[in-house]
Amino acid sequence: MAEAKAKKKPEYIQVKFNKPRLYDWSTGKYLGHFYAEAKENKKIVGTRCPQCKEIWLPPTVVCPKCKVEMGWDWEEMPQTGEVYQYTYLVFPLWDPHYGEKWANPHASATILLDNGVYYRHWLEETDKDKIKIGMRVQAVWKEDYDERGQGPGDILFFKEIGK
Amino acid sequence: MQTATEKLEGLDVWIYHGQIYIPNTYAAGAVGSRFLIELRDKKRIMGTKCTACNRVYVPARSICKDCLANLKEWVEVSDKGTLLTYTVCHEPNPVQPVDAPVIYGIVQLDGADTGFVHMLGEVEPEQLRVGMRVQAVFKAEREASILDIRYFKPIAQCM
Repeated sequence: MAEAKAKKKPEYIQVKFNKPRLYDWSTGKYLGHFYAEAKENKKIVGTRCPQCKEIWLPPTVVCPKCKVEMGWDWEEMPQTGEVYQYTYLVFPLWDPHYGEKWANPHASATILLDNGVYYRHWLEETDKDKIKIGMRVQAVWKEDYDERGQGPGDILFFKEIGK
Repeated sequence: MQTATEKLEGLDVWIYHGQIYIPNTYAAGAVGSRFLIELRDKKRIMGTKCTACNRVYVPARSICKDCLANLKEWVEVSDKGTLLTYTVCHEPNPVQPVDAPVIYGIVQLDGADTGFVHMLGEVEPEQLRVGMRVQAVFKAEREASILDIRYFKPIAQCM
């Protein structure tokens, strides 16, 4: 009887769309050099403006300040610095590229590198009580050469180091 | 899982092969579900009729677009119809349901007053004519999807 009643329940259809949309994107010459240095030498590099001598990271073709062409003056960045500020992400975000959940919670931090340049990256520390403004951090690279080639993604995260 | 990058030979330029992948599911609703179930179980293309406007909507919809009445009356329409317009897409893209070239057409089925968007098959692009008669070809394995109709194929005209 209960079974017959269940059969009467109308069937509702769910329409699924499950295909990735592919795209290609070129880094260009300047960001390409940044990618190459990360993959080949595990280095973070920025461009130095020929006029105002400021370092820009990520590299730019034209100086955002002076509006002059950058030339080919590359500066290697130190890989240590301190946490300048951070955002602690708790909301369950989805990676729009692969449809998978991002590791959560985690901290997205602006890091003040030792030469005074700011760089945004993830922190290894996921306990928000242990993250402190001003704590010393260092870049941790992907060790496998073949896994590198993702530009900023070649650095896994910044881990805390002693003073 | 990660994005593939590729360095161009002899250049400091990288090509980043990315993708956007957002799996999503939506409910077809009461009317849409019945429409798809009829396709799957009975190979019938159903429409809803607005008696006030005397119009048959295919695919079926729940509300009349003009008088906003709730549409309760279901009618079966023919699997044959007239091609109203078409377009040929040569650019391959995995998002599209079949390999390129894809021919999309709008077909007014006999008994319907609206155009039905689907693909055309068993026809070369240069053979297509607006006004030609076409017929739905159903898949053998159907799963309550709009793609249970494989495509519309041209049929010989009876004079």
